[in-house]
Amino acid sequence: MKRFFTLLLLLFVLIGFTYATGTKEEAVQTLVYGTTEKVTDLDPASAYDFHTWEIFQNIYQGLLSYPPGETNIVPGLAESYSANAASDQFTFKLRKGLKFTDGTPFKAQAVKWSIDRVMALGGDPSWLVTDFVKSVDVLDDYTVRFNLKGPIAYFPALAATVPYFPVNPNVYPKDKIVRDPSELKGGALVGLGPYKVVSFKRDEEVVLEANPDYYGAQPKIPRIVIRYFADATTMRLALEKGEIDLAYKTLNPSDIADLSKNPNFNTYKLSGPYIRYICFETSESVFKDKRLRQAIGALINRPEIIEKVFLNQNEPLYSMVPKGMIYHTDDFKTTLGDGNVALANKLLKEAGYSESNPLKFDLWYTPSHYGDTEVNMAEVMKAQFEKSPLVKVNIKSAEWATYKEQWKAKQMPAYLLGWYPDYIDPDNYTAAFAGTTGSKGMGINFSDPEWDALFKKEQTNTDPKVREEVFKKIQKMWTDECPTVPIFQGNLYVFTKKNVKGVKIGPTLIFNYNSLYFEK
Amino acid sequence: MKNLLRYIITRIFLTIPMLFFLLTLVFIILRIMPGDPVSAMLGAHAPESVIEQKKEELGLNKPIGAQYIDYLNQLIHFDLGDSMIFKQKVIVPIKEKLPATVELTVFGMLFTLVFGVFLGAYAASKRRTGRDFSIRLYANVVYCIPVYWMGLMLQLVFGVWLGWLPISGRVSPRILVSTFENTGFYTIDTLLSGDLHAFIDVMIHLILPSVTLGIVLSGIFVRLTRANMLDVLRSEYILAARARGIPERRVVYKHALKNAFIPILTMMGLQFALLLAGAILTEMTFSWPGMGRLLMERIYLRDYPTIQGVIVVFALFVSLVSLLVDIIYAIIDPRVKY
Repeated sequence: MKRFFTLLLLLFVLIGFTYATGTKEEAVQTLVYGTTEKVTDLDPASAYDFHTWEIFQNIYQGLLSYPPGETNIVPGLAESYSANAASDQFTFKLRKGLKFTDGTPFKAQAVKWSIDRVMALGGDPSWLVTDFVKSVDVLDDYTVRFNLKGPIAYFPALAATVPYFPVNPNVYPKDKIVRDPSELKGGALVGLGPYKVVSFKRDEEVVLEANPDYYGAQPKIPRIVIRYFADATTMRLALEKGEIDLAYKTLNPSDIADLSKNPNFNTYKLSGPYIRYICFETSESVFKDKRLRQAIGALINRPEIIEKVFLNQNEPLYSMVPKGMIYHTDDFKTTLGDGNVALANKLLKEAGYSESNPLKFDLWYTPSHYGDTEVNMAEVMKAQFEKSPLVKVNIKSAEWATYKEQWKAKQMPAYLLGWYPDYIDPDNYTAAFAGTTGSKGMGINFSDPEWDALFKKEQTNTDPKVREEVFKKIQKMWTDECPTVPIFQGNLYVFTKKNVKGVKIGPTLIFNYNSLYFEK
Repeated sequence: MKNLLRYIITRIFLTIPMLFFLLTLVFIILRIMPGDPVSAMLGAHAPESVIEQKKEELGLNKPIGAQYIDYLNQLIHFDLGDSMIFKQKVIVPIKEKLPATVELTVFGMLFTLVFGVFLGAYAASKRRTGRDFSIRLYANVVYCIPVYWMGLMLQLVFGVWLGWLPISGRVSPRILVSTFENTGFYTIDTLLSGDLHAFIDVMIHLILPSVTLGIVLSGIFVRLTRANMLDVLRSEYILAARARGIPERRVVYKHALKNAFIPILTMMGLQFALLLAGAILTEMTFSWPGMGRLLMERIYLRDYPTIQGVIVVFALFVSLVSLLVDIIYAIIDPRVKY
């Protein structure tokens, strides 16, 4: 028996020693990037999540693009573009001499083929094309024209999104959405971006290498390995143990607090376009009465939520349009304020509630979509609401698939949601919630012809002054109708080893790996 | 031998009604659960017309009975169907993830057997001593511990505090899977590719998850082995062996253990289902990219065909192991007749 355990111990020591000393020297300079995100469909016609889009932004290119960390649109695969006077036709002049990583020359026909494919397949993000684009014409090998359904002020921002990225017609099937590279002709993703995919193992790793044919500057790090973690704690430990060089999306608040204090890592705090808010079902629930929505909005104490639940890692938000975005105003701060119990009591009494007859409602959250902090957020909010003796809250939860079904079935009077934008424009933060169609989809069911007219006006007018005026008016009206009430704007955190530099992620959330480098 | 073959064939045929019953149950449970794949799949923007179109495309607007017949029809043709969420055959992710789970369960079972049987035999040989009492206590305690809690504790001690062992994944982030992957069984693939460093890395990644899985199940094997060994050690042939002056260690671990092993083998087949259930929780705790994680993810997404597919594979797996155990049982004990 003793001999057995001695042998076992010796075996462990031997393995441990070999493991500790056996690290092989990397042949190619490699950055290992850890994330808890997932890759969905490897197809611009179907993928509709930030991480898969992030990979596309590094292996493909849009006709227009954003420089790393910035919000100004610059030429991408198109060297220039122009709009007609009515702003319902946009013509793009493509760069010449570009080729996909399999050697296929890039021409205007590929742009039209890709857009037609997105429209025909009808994948999740296809509405970003089909809602706006009527058709695409190839004028010559290097000129392509988008004919829009009407004037669209923010079309360049749309054209920079992933569903507009041209794919190689020789590789992608025309009539089928691709999930894995094995489903492509040739079995490999071929793009036009700074990196190319050399191997793909779902939920484990994606290996990218610099694309030597890329038209722009060559990436400084020749190989990026993306490693997928099932949970944030494990990813944090991998960073601390030096197994990964960079960790991004999504660490727990306590991990962020600890890592921020650790001198061995660089902390990049990014003000993201991610927002959280409370939604009200406005057509049938108790929150049909806007005074109740206002009262609940007034009771929310944003700084307290951020301090208690998110350890001061997010920013309070007083408009559905996030800070840093054009036309943002802080109207909720000046109208309803934070933890304004007096105003809430006044509104509730006006609506007929009293201490003996309090407003009772269910506050819903989902534990399976916004991380472990969601339950804490719901509890803190319940306590805030019940600071008014005229309110009694019952917390309820449902996992994500059920949650979505329930908001569509109008079963949740008040529920917590979050939003990552589809395109970087205030329209995406407003019309999607208070326009009749968008609002119905979100379970809010708010509908007002005056609001719809305002959305129509900002969507079709290219004059920034007119748009600014409309958005300021909408944000003001929002504090009165309160179809939703903004809570906070999420900051994003990237942690890297000390020698990793060049992390640039702007409000667009686009993470270009080619700006990364190792400091010697 | 002829009888054994007949038994095997009968067992294979008996698997069919078992699978049928299981699938019917899973099919019904999934359909009555709140939430549906279309709501989970389509974004908030999806209009009703698109939702309806999607339901029609996926056959979800048909009556449940018709959906069930369609599904059985697919199964008869050895087709697990297409994922409702990811536009691919259900078999594709299963083929990807199965080797990881098999590797984990095999190593978990190995640990259980070696550790559990050895400790049980040792406890029996030291009956009513402090060591026997400690081992029995260990067996009771580990049997009661939830597998995820055990995993977290081992992660904390060996991964975080001591920093000896990796706490997640099948391989270190800096070792590229693409350089050795072939069969999906990383222990085999690394050996086939001749990458010793990767092999050691893979083995080291297997330690904590398989030990977690193995420890929890080892409790029952300790108790069973001890009980059987006590019976066997009282037999006359053991007395005779001792009388002939055969060393005690040889008597216990060679003569007695061999005979005490037969009921343990039966238990191994029965415990395999438990091992797979434990593997699901272990995979979640250790970020192990296997069938358990696949199942959990697809349950959240209400991907009915994939959930059903994973359960079919699990059921087949359990049946197969159970059958194998019976065959081994017949081979190692000539008294067993089928």
